[in-house]
Amino acid sequence: MLHKRFIISELVRTKKQSLIFIMCVILSIITLVALDGFSESVNRSIIRDAKVQHGGDIIIRSNFPFSKKLAERILSLEKSRQVRTAKTYRFHSVVRTQNSETSLLADIKVVDNAYPLYGNVMLASGRDFGTVLKKGKVVVEKGVLDRLGMNIGDRLYIGKALLLIEDVVNIEPDRPVSFLTFGPRIFVSVSDMDGLGLVTKGSRVKYNCFVKTGKEKLTGLLTTELKALAIEGQERVEAARNMKSRVKRFLDNLIFFLSMIGIFTLLLAGIGIWSSLTAWLKEREETIAIIKTLGGSSRFIISHYLVIAFMLGLVGIIMGIPTGFILQQFLPGLFKGLLPDNIEMIIPTGAALKGLMIGGIVVGLFTFIPLDGLKDIRPVAIFKKESWGTKRGPAFYVIGIIIFFFFSGLVLWEIEEMKIGAFFTIGIIILIVITALLTRFVLGLLKRLSVKSLVVRQAQKGLFRPKNSTGPIIITLTASLAFILSIFLVEQNLDAAFVQSYPEDSPNVFIMDIQPSQKGEVSKHLGGDTVFYPVIRGRVLSINKKTVNVEAERKKKSDNLARVFNLTYRDHLLEDEVIIKGRRMFRDDFDSLQVSVLDHVQEFTDIDIGDIIMFNIQGVKLKATVTSIRSRTRETIKPFFYFVFPEETLNEAPQIIFSALSMPKADVPHFRSRIAGLFPNISIVDITETISRFSTIMHRLSLIVRFFTLFSIVAGILIVISSILATRSARIREAVYYKILGATSGFVLRVFALESLMIGVISGFIAIIISQAGSWIICTTRLDISYKPFIVQSISMAVGITLLVVIVGLVTSISILKQKPVFFLKENAESEA
Amino acid sequence: MNILEARDITKTYVIGETGVPVIDKVSLGIPEGQFAVIQGRSGSGKTTLLTLLSGLDKPTSGTIFIKDKDITLLKEDALAPLRNEFFGFVFQSFHLVPSLTALENVMFPAELKNSSKNMKDALHRAESLLKRVDLTKRAGNYPHQLSGGEKQRVAICRALINNPRIIFADEPTGNLDSVSGEAILNLLTDIQEEYRATIVLVTHSIEVAGLADRIVTLEDGRVIEDRSPGTAEKKN
Repeated sequence: MLHKRFIISELVRTKKQSLIFIMCVILSIITLVALDGFSESVNRSIIRDAKVQHGGDIIIRSNFPFSKKLAERILSLEKSRQVRTAKTYRFHSVVRTQNSETSLLADIKVVDNAYPLYGNVMLASGRDFGTVLKKGKVVVEKGVLDRLGMNIGDRLYIGKALLLIEDVVNIEPDRPVSFLTFGPRIFVSVSDMDGLGLVTKGSRVKYNCFVKTGKEKLTGLLTTELKALAIEGQERVEAARNMKSRVKRFLDNLIFFLSMIGIFTLLLAGIGIWSSLTAWLKEREETIAIIKTLGGSSRFIISHYLVIAFMLGLVGIIMGIPTGFILQQFLPGLFKGLLPDNIEMIIPTGAALKGLMIGGIVVGLFTFIPLDGLKDIRPVAIFKKESWGTKRGPAFYVIGIIIFFFFSGLVLWEIEEMKIGAFFTIGIIILIVITALLTRFVLGLLKRLSVKSLVVRQAQKGLFRPKNSTGPIIITLTASLAFILSIFLVEQNLDAAFVQSYPEDSPNVFIMDIQPSQKGEVSKHLGGDTVFYPVIRGRVLSINKKTVNVEAERKKKSDNLARVFNLTYRDHLLEDEVIIKGRRMFRDDFDSLQVSVLDHVQEFTDIDIGDIIMFNIQGVKLKATVTSIRSRTRETIKPFFYFVFPEETLNEAPQIIFSALSMPKADVPHFRSRIAGLFPNISIVDITETISRFSTIMHRLSLIVRFFTLFSIVAGILIVISSILATRSARIREAVYYKILGATSGFVLRVFALESLMIGVISGFIAIIISQAGSWIICTTRLDISYKPFIVQSISMAVGITLLVVIVGLVTSISILKQKPVFFLKENAESEA
Repeated sequence: MNILEARDITKTYVIGETGVPVIDKVSLGIPEGQFAVIQGRSGSGKTTLLTLLSGLDKPTSGTIFIKDKDITLLKEDALAPLRNEFFGFVFQSFHLVPSLTALENVMFPAELKNSSKNMKDALHRAESLLKRVDLTKRAGNYPHQLSGGEKQRVAICRALINNPRIIFADEPTGNLDSVSGEAILNLLTDIQEEYRATIVLVTHSIEVAGLADRIVTLEDGRVIEDRSPGTAEKKN
């Protein structure tokens, strides 16, 4: 039988602790609900707009002209009027003004009359796209006019053709959001394609065919039929509904990463729930002891506090789910520029149910131990002669194991990949264990430290005040700060390695699409030491006769074996390469085909010397034995290849050739114009612009990550407030004693401020050590980049957290400082009486 | 010459909309070196009077002079040095700082007074005080490791560390058994003689009152009797 008035009175008496408990519950689910809702909204928008975004019901793509069987079937379908088709050809090329004074690398899209099958190309003039884009005319993105200083009506060179700029494109229905673009769009009519002279054997042209069926069933049937006709590994046939766009893949990866942060926040909020409930129950220790003295059983007490925890948990979940959805509404702004603009935010039931379930489990798991500990409170506690603490009995360890499996399961559910899930869970456990050990070590040292200054000594003693949650506070703050700092340090190091300190000798200009016959001429214009990099595109079919599982590989978050690789041939190492396995790149005593593999490949598949790899190189199967493993001595933007073949093996294969140069940024436009004039098919890519764009994206992503990581800091702050509330009476007692013995309010304030400062400094100090070590390991072993500690920035972040803790500590202590000694003494005398 | 003088002090607590007088126009002068006991039944206002006399609380009206200085006009922080150097406190509930050892508790007021200077002197004095009350071996113990009598002896040492002129004691034997209580009272009387301190002690015990130079009896917030032991001086 529940004593309702007792429950209500307990809730009223512990308003502040109840509030902290509820806030921890809200915090535990807010990020996951928001991310789930956001992800679902984006998915639905992408599926809804799939036909428009992808340009048709069925999309056929290839880097080569379509194979005969496939092309014939497309033609027959078109003739039978069962479907409508549109063809596009995409490639990059340098375009020039009519006088060749300025040039620009542009993204050329050659389209036929049927394009677009879905949606409309919106032009600045408002005219119909089909009527504007005729032979001899082009439609350009505004960036072309701005960057070349041209106007509508001017003419520009694309390859060999001089074409008239007829209009400006505002919206292109099937253009995906792309973060790294090599130039603005130019639409060219298919009737001008041959005249450009740019599409030749080996050119990097993307051949696309869009099929409009208008019927779901027909789409399915035709997709299956066309897939069967396509050359595997070269031609891809997919229904728009099932296509994972670049945006979708990017979003999946980002949401996965943010979900990991959400799970980390969930864990910290769980610790917050545990900590606030423990603090809350300790505050009620005397009441519980009195009830026990009066004959109340542990079962009676636990059931009542269980109801209270359940009620508060429910309130937290009920508030947390809509709060998550409110947060979700702000996410499109945070992701601005990284996702399409037309995403419609929905409130999915699945996300709400998931929030309800996760919130319920977390409340259940993290309230169990404190509630179970109530049975250990003995009636003698009314004499305040013994202190109650959570005993680490079997229940403690069982719950610990359940929590471990719950979080591991949650990670696996989010990412669906065992290896990364295990890495993440183990990583978090290691982080918390190391944090806990270092915290214990530092606190142990501090306890033994002999301090002269009275204020410092009292603050030091305050850390070890009974019921103070100093340990959990430091662990939570440290873990969250270490997490944020590590992300920051890795990002800064990536930035430093690839953006800021871009090595002077590294190439910044790439000369693409050189035909084998042009090597000699190009070499004359680039200089004598020009290095040419031939590229042959191919796929890995099997390793040691074990066929590559394309579906499974594509699901990998890391690099995978199912993609198209850029292969090359040469008989020498590059200057930034070393052999780490094998004597030389290729053996002389070997009759069969050999291949040298870069050690990066070993990170996503097991491969070693002697293994046999089956390649599909443009339809031709090649079996090669691994005779050496190479490694790069430094990570730069210099070209590198996973698979290198001996020169004589592939030099006759269809290939593209590129070269890389280092030159001052100011010289690039002139150089581009000169080369484009001489070799219209050759593209010049200025990587410095790309690096700048890359940097902007990195900072945007970093901002998103930091935003989500802030929630874990909030969990730490809630634990700080909870601890101060739990030790409120002890702090008031201390403050009163100090005042009775002649201390001023300033002294008390200094003691409390210094205590918070110590917590902040210890957390910051340990967080810096852990994050520096962790980031160093990630940068040097996983990313292979040199490591800079960014000490000033790290300390600044730690100081920021410390100040936050001090401010929160002081604000929460203000009412304690205002307490007059006489009230405490009176109350105490009454309780003694 | 009175070291402490209360003139017409009143303390009223407002409960709901009603003002309840706890101390009602009390005037009292305590000469230097006197051992004065304030006694009365539970609820008579004796502890409230002690908190007013010691500046722990402010009267609703009236003045309290400590050597010609009206402490009712002083702000909280201005009272701090007075509490630190001029007063010593001993409470029924001991009120030792739980996170400090017995020795650290005794030294605390001296450290507040001197900051980091003369800490050696303070240490010697704290040690000799603890020795004086037979607690040398317990100097390193925390309050929760001490018995009630030991805690009170530590509290007395703490009250004495800065050589206060007045010691305020609120039911110092209230939480102790009779043997410990007697020992504490003997200690207080010895101290009064030894240090020539003024003691203002609140108690409801007739035995304790018997040791005093003067007994002030309160009832309903008013002084109904002010006498030396063995005499009777009724006050209206």
